[in-house]
Amino acid sequence: MPHQDTPIYKAMIEAVRETFENMAFVEVAEQSEEIGFDIPTERDWVSILIHNPLQGELRLALPKNLLTTMTADMFSIDIADVEEVQRQDILSEILNTLAGLFMTKLLPNDQTYQLGLPEYGEGPIPESDEESLVWNLQIEGSPLLLVANGTGFISENN
Amino acid sequence: MKRIVIADDSATARMFIKRCLDIIGLGDVEIVEAEHGKEALTAAKAAPTDLLLSDLNMPVMDGETLLKWVKSSPKLMDMPVVIITSAGNPAKEQELLKLGALKVINKPISPPMLMDALAKFIDD
Repeated sequence: MPHQDTPIYKAMIEAVRETFENMAFVEVAEQSEEIGFDIPTERDWVSILIHNPLQGELRLALPKNLLTTMTADMFSIDIADVEEVQRQDILSEILNTLAGLFMTKLLPNDQTYQLGLPEYGEGPIPESDEESLVWNLQIEGSPLLLVANGTGFISENN
Repeated sequence: MKRIVIADDSATARMFIKRCLDIIGLGDVEIVEAEHGKEALTAAKAAPTDLLLSDLNMPVMDGETLLKWVKSSPKLMDMPVVIITSAGNPAKEQELLKLGALKVINKPISPPMLMDALAKFIDD
């Protein structure tokens, strides 16, 4: 978990809250302890590269059942009618929006930045390492995992 | 009837934009969806288009390239272009306005944000 008084920590928390509240009408809470996914395969994850001015990657993971409920609400359809492609698209668009907000909050106003395109994650989410900052959050009791990977983010945290 | 082209590679984002347009209540509007800039350009050329709402970060042709194409085309240059982006900040916004964008809106969008951006378009 990043230091709670650092700009990068605050920027991410604000970006996550604004994104989920505006797009999915759900509240995101901070979690003091690491909360895992009970069944790792029962979650979806997506990543996006940051190309400039620092090089890094953001990853977002949510439980499939939470994402299915959110997708049904957002598309105004029944849960049974939610298709995988819709779930993936919503998760990708959430991370895309979140990443933009995060960089806007993190960087000075005159600093432009360049994002890649969101990529839906296949297989297990990569392990975090010493170049990773991890945010363990929750939505209505369900885990939300956010990882910022890259030396640029680590230096922002110091 | 007004014709609006929405360019965004995300179906979710296009759905959000359409929902906002519905809430604003533009009246009788034909909405054409495009998944990237090239498709939007083709759609805008296919019939007189009153407004182009475009994402910035898209595959094939991004929103900035699309804006440059539109503003350099004698046929399309007068069409208002609103950029809706997750990769915007004041510096980028100024760049896009200089290129001819009518407005730049940051995601996540809301009906009031879109209404504000389209005030002139709605009045016309």
